[in-house]
Amino acid sequence: MSYDLRRADARIKWLVTCLLATLGLSYVFGAVMVALYAGFTPERVAATYAGPGMTMHMPPETTMTVTRPMSMTDFARPETHAVDTNLLIQDTHVHVPMYGVIAAALSLVVLGLALPQAWALGLITLLFAAPWLDFAGMWLTKFASPHFAIVTLAGGWAMGAGYTIVATLAVKQMWFSQVEERS
Amino acid sequence: MKPLMLVAVLATALHITPVVVLVKRPDAVQALLPGADAYLAREVHLSNRDAHRLHQVVDWSPEDGVLTLYTGKAGATTVGALEFVRVDSPHGPIEVAVGFTPQGAVRGVIVTKATVETKPWVLEAVAAGLTNHYRELKPGEAPRGAAALTGHAGSLAQYIAGEVDKGVARALAAYGTFYRSAKT
Repeated sequence: MSYDLRRADARIKWLVTCLLATLGLSYVFGAVMVALYAGFTPERVAATYAGPGMTMHMPPETTMTVTRPMSMTDFARPETHAVDTNLLIQDTHVHVPMYGVIAAALSLVVLGLALPQAWALGLITLLFAAPWLDFAGMWLTKFASPHFAIVTLAGGWAMGAGYTIVATLAVKQMWFSQVEERS
Repeated sequence: MKPLMLVAVLATALHITPVVVLVKRPDAVQALLPGADAYLAREVHLSNRDAHRLHQVVDWSPEDGVLTLYTGKAGATTVGALEFVRVDSPHGPIEVAVGFTPQGAVRGVIVTKATVETKPWVLEAVAAGLTNHYRELKPGEAPRGAAALTGHAGSLAQYIAGEVDKGVARALAAYGTFYRSAKT
């Protein structure tokens, strides 16, 4: 294939490096955001996405009112960031296309790497499967079982792993590999 | 390389921003229930019929079927009531705190949460006097904050004002139907 990042013009190598650095930065802050809003344990992810939906809310036959005292400390207590169905629909709508675009960008980088075809196919599959796992886990956690939180975690880690592998290989091949010039 | 440039631009454009706290809840409580030294949380568990009724009025139902309204008291005197309402927009959620006087009119409205993306729009709308237009509203009346900003703020500030209008309308409907009626 004529598209080979090892032999690419320095400007193209620089563009790919900048893209990878930018995506890497966004992934770092993505991880910080996950830590702030959902956490990295199955329990915290389940609490974020399962929420009241898993309690099988049954509306009472007539409207009931429960009154309890509150203190100012209760208002100040940090809220569990819960993602309800409406917000999950919105998150899916906004994030999945973005993840698709990122996976496509990284896949274009993969196409320019010197890799056996099976490895390249595997990497591209990983890049696209990771966000699928991520969001499938969220929906399954909400509507099937909180145990599926592990799928979301697996998706998140797979996304991080996919990026790390592509970025490492690309930087190594573009800037640190000796390539024989074609005659 | 054009596709790479395009995807980088698209990735930036599509990225959603996280929620940011504009006003902490305790600060909103103190501002909207001034002088209160005791608080009660009134959780209204809606029946199917009442949830449907609320939905017909404001096209919204609380996710878990529970409305929470807070009452503030200073000694034996009721200072007012307060509700936090979330509105989901395509640009992320906002949260609106709506305070009521003991007479049942809106005392004040504070936007407590936005997103990094919507924060400047909210700040512009508030600076243009958005929340002043909700004062004295009573259940049954329609908030028209967005319309009042015409010519005084940009289109994005007006857009987000429309989302704040929705939050105020929901609070008015919930308060009028399930708080005042329960008290009398």
